[in-house]
Amino acid sequence: MIKPLWQRVLGYVVLILFLLMIILPFYWMFVTSFEPNTDISAYPPAYFPHHWTVSHYVEAFGQFHFGRFIINSVVVACTSTFLVLVFSSMAGFAIARLPIKGKRPMLIFLLIISVFPPIVVITPLYMLMRDVGWLDSYQALIIPYTAFNLPFAIWILRNYFLQVPGALFEAAKIDGASVFGAYWRVFLPLTKPGLFTAAVFTFVADWTEFFMALVFNPSNTMRTIPVGIALFSGQYTVPYGTIFAGSVVSIVPIVLLVVIFRRWIVSGLTQGAVKG
Amino acid sequence: MGTGAPESPNVLVRSRGASHLQRTDKRAGLSLLTPAGIVILAVTIFPIVYSVIMSFNNIQITQNGFRFQFNGLQNYKQVYSAPLFWHSVWFTVYYSIITVAVELFLGLLIALAIQNVERLKSVSIVIMLIPWALITVISAQMWSYIYNGVYGVLNAILQQLHLIHAPVNWLGQPTTAVISLMIADIWKTTPFVVIILVSGLQMIPKDYYEAARIDGANSWQSFWSVTFPQLRGSIALAGLFRILQAFGIFDLPFVLTQGGPGTATTSIAMLGEETLFTNLHFGLGAAVAVSTVILILGACLIFLSAFRGMVGEEAQ
Amino acid sequence: MKHRKKAISLIVMGTSAVALVVGCSANTTQSTGQGNASSGTASVKVNSTGSSHVVNYKNASGTIVWAESFTTGNLANELVKAFEKKYPKIKVKLQVQPSDTDTNRATLTTAISGGSSTPDVYMGDVIWPAQFANSQLAAPLSDYLPKSFWNRFSNGLVSGATYNGKVYAAPLFADTAFLYYRKDLLAKYHLPVPKTWEQVKSEAAQIQKAGGARYGFVWQGADYEGLTCDFDEYLADAGGQVLKNGKADLTSPAANKALSFMRSLITSGVTPKTVDTFQESQSENVFTQGNAVFLRNWSYAWSDSQTPSTSKVVGKVGVTALPTFAGHGSSGYSTVGGWDLYVNPHTKDLPAALQFLDWMTGTQAQSILAENSEMPTNKTVADSKSLAKYSPVFALLPKVKFVSRPSQTPEYPSVSKAIYDNVNEALAGSISVSKALSLANQQIDNAQSSGGL
Repeated sequence: MIKPLWQRVLGYVVLILFLLMIILPFYWMFVTSFEPNTDISAYPPAYFPHHWTVSHYVEAFGQFHFGRFIINSVVVACTSTFLVLVFSSMAGFAIARLPIKGKRPMLIFLLIISVFPPIVVITPLYMLMRDVGWLDSYQALIIPYTAFNLPFAIWILRNYFLQVPGALFEAAKIDGASVFGAYWRVFLPLTKPGLFTAAVFTFVADWTEFFMALVFNPSNTMRTIPVGIALFSGQYTVPYGTIFAGSVVSIVPIVLLVVIFRRWIVSGLTQGAVKG
Repeated sequence: MGTGAPESPNVLVRSRGASHLQRTDKRAGLSLLTPAGIVILAVTIFPIVYSVIMSFNNIQITQNGFRFQFNGLQNYKQVYSAPLFWHSVWFTVYYSIITVAVELFLGLLIALAIQNVERLKSVSIVIMLIPWALITVISAQMWSYIYNGVYGVLNAILQQLHLIHAPVNWLGQPTTAVISLMIADIWKTTPFVVIILVSGLQMIPKDYYEAARIDGANSWQSFWSVTFPQLRGSIALAGLFRILQAFGIFDLPFVLTQGGPGTATTSIAMLGEETLFTNLHFGLGAAVAVSTVILILGACLIFLSAFRGMVGEEAQ
Repeated sequence: MKHRKKAISLIVMGTSAVALVVGCSANTTQSTGQGNASSGTASVKVNSTGSSHVVNYKNASGTIVWAESFTTGNLANELVKAFEKKYPKIKVKLQVQPSDTDTNRATLTTAISGGSSTPDVYMGDVIWPAQFANSQLAAPLSDYLPKSFWNRFSNGLVSGATYNGKVYAAPLFADTAFLYYRKDLLAKYHLPVPKTWEQVKSEAAQIQKAGGARYGFVWQGADYEGLTCDFDEYLADAGGQVLKNGKADLTSPAANKALSFMRSLITSGVTPKTVDTFQESQSENVFTQGNAVFLRNWSYAWSDSQTPSTSKVVGKVGVTALPTFAGHGSSGYSTVGGWDLYVNPHTKDLPAALQFLDWMTGTQAQSILAENSEMPTNKTVADSKSLAKYSPVFALLPKVKFVSRPSQTPEYPSVSKAIYDNVNEALAGSISVSKALSLANQQIDNAQSSGGL
């Protein structure tokens, strides 16, 4: 479908305006991560640094073992995201399309779990983790991250499964597909935008989670990125350069992920695939 | 809408016509639910029940763990009689309503813009995700650096544009502090709304637009007759989970204002955290947390019913 | 809520510690003397419950975990290496903690209240003993260590770590605030190093007016614990105190004088109005960028100001004891800051933990700390002549008077919040000085009687 010219022009104008607003603060952080300390709190600030230095990056990786933090974060976030996608798409499909009793209470229950503030569940959860001997391990984060992200992912995917016309389900069954076959071959491919959305949100939530990671994995080799960066600060000092360097690096894996899977969301469904 | 329209993606609506489906479907459904159910129940039930119980007890930390001393509603009474609690509830409520409303509006605007351009789509998505993917505490530190009243870049830019004469003390005055927090929040979380809406837009079959066009609808009309009704499930979802997160706001004020000036930006989550982990009153802290949960649930349900009503009228 | 009554009586006792002077012997928990700034002459009395509990740790062995929140370089590593060399049978594993005090406390509380046996030893703020003792998050060290152990510390430090007659922490290093000034600017405008707050204000204004610096005086006015520290210093200088006989005493003329002065620094333009968002790092940045004449900050700021990679005023900075109000003596008060070592009550290797504590507060470790510009707590090291060579701030110590925060109550966090919330609001100009003080007064008394919120 060709859109009218004015609509496209307006689209570009709005989009570029917003992209600039999004980029600017991040640009400032990016630039600061390359500035020597003496320039960081200078006034008026230089919009483009006079002197460039990579010393903050060197410090992050040298002094603080940032490489190790990245590996830990990748392992935890990838595993948990994978588990969430598998489990939530199954559950979301069941709630959206299959005749189960108590869907409404189920959804409300899921909402309650998402609502519960992590600060209050962390103490009992710590006891739980200690009792099963999981402190200082990947599963100490993977399992809670999976559990606390499942509700939102189920809600998202249920929403998308509902948007796929029900007639497709009947058609698949008439073709002799099992329930699982219909889920796997018909519905999953059609809900790629939903899977992408759920994946991005789970991954980002895992990637940025701080408090559980701090408390459950206290040994230095098990730290994740957010905790690692928090440890950069001194009692009285906020080393903006090093902190910003760490965060710039922490963005890279997410950008890569989105670049790889972007087709899932921007091209979405091929035209007309979802006809009733 | 034609008969081929997908079922309403309304949140919280019982699916219809379940009776004719076979029992195998039911069994399959239960087995599909099992893995998620096990993980969720195993991890969350104990901590949630435990913290609810804590809220009805006077908790003393002892060498043998927590000592529970049942005191009924005492904790709740103390929480509800504290002016700071109501103050923080009020701040949290108006802060959340304003930020979420702005975010939904901007998010819809940006998502439609992305939908209407041919190029820049993937680039936009990638850039959008940067604020969202930033660790919240770090983005708060970034904003604190930008807002700084002496060497912050925001004052420098505004002064060079001659929009202000003297540096503004953004985070040190109640009104500007609240607005500054909102801007930082909107910057960070509008992408969340955008992504949900963009992927929601992808799910709208293109032939609906085609049909609307053949019926002679202009862009504005086809937005209201096709896009908005089809998107309302996604809007509801985005709004719901943004409300949920907004009511739990903690990191931004914790870093940017420490709840100040005075208590002007103290959120209910900050109060809960402070009661639990700074003052070490676990019973009281749990009562604050449980009250928060009730408050947020209420807000979510109000949002869902209000939103459904509004959309229902528009769609007809 | 039985412990509440106990807490109140303790506050009564703790009042005497509101202001104490290094050089006199320490106040003790037994003393109920009024918080007169220079009284307090009783000697340290520690209720050790007999020798039966005393642990002999001479042959300790095993592995312990030490949670440390040093963030400067490799200091913790250096200490551990030296310790393991001396005591090869004990291995110490480091657990790095976030330096943010509240986050640090939250992790430690979760772990220890959850029954974890690690960390065995942890670093904690000097304001934690009462709260941690009350919640049994710290082991009562005086039960396990002989009385003589506590004689090694500088006067006054042990009483700060004492709650209900038992000592819960071993002072590791102390922290003191100073007045940093631009000696080049004072010389240029022919001004003396200020001895009073009034002088700070007028000299700063004069230099600002002449275009010598953008701002006169920067300090910590944000809505956090650091503001309680700053406020307590002005308050003690004006002859006031936070608690008097266990009751809040902030409606006094002295408190009014203190807060009015702080506010007047802002209204007169000597201090930027954005100081109500400044913590240590922001105020330090303004100073090291060369934009302020005076800075109130802790001892760490000296080495920062002399490091070319962070400072534009290397070689132009002088440091002196904090001033006082005119007519209130020769120099002002500094809040007692610093860090202690605590032992986890669930530790599985108490002897090794005690051995580590013993060594860390002994002369060897304390000398290493001093070399790294941390102020030693061990008397022998602190009083040695060679100390001054590590940092000029050490040479100033004999001149400094100390004021303790009223942290002898488990409800101290709420007490402090009552102070910094209202003082911050007054600094922002949202409420008047007298309103802020009366609110603070009322909230402190509330905090002490009911606590929690």
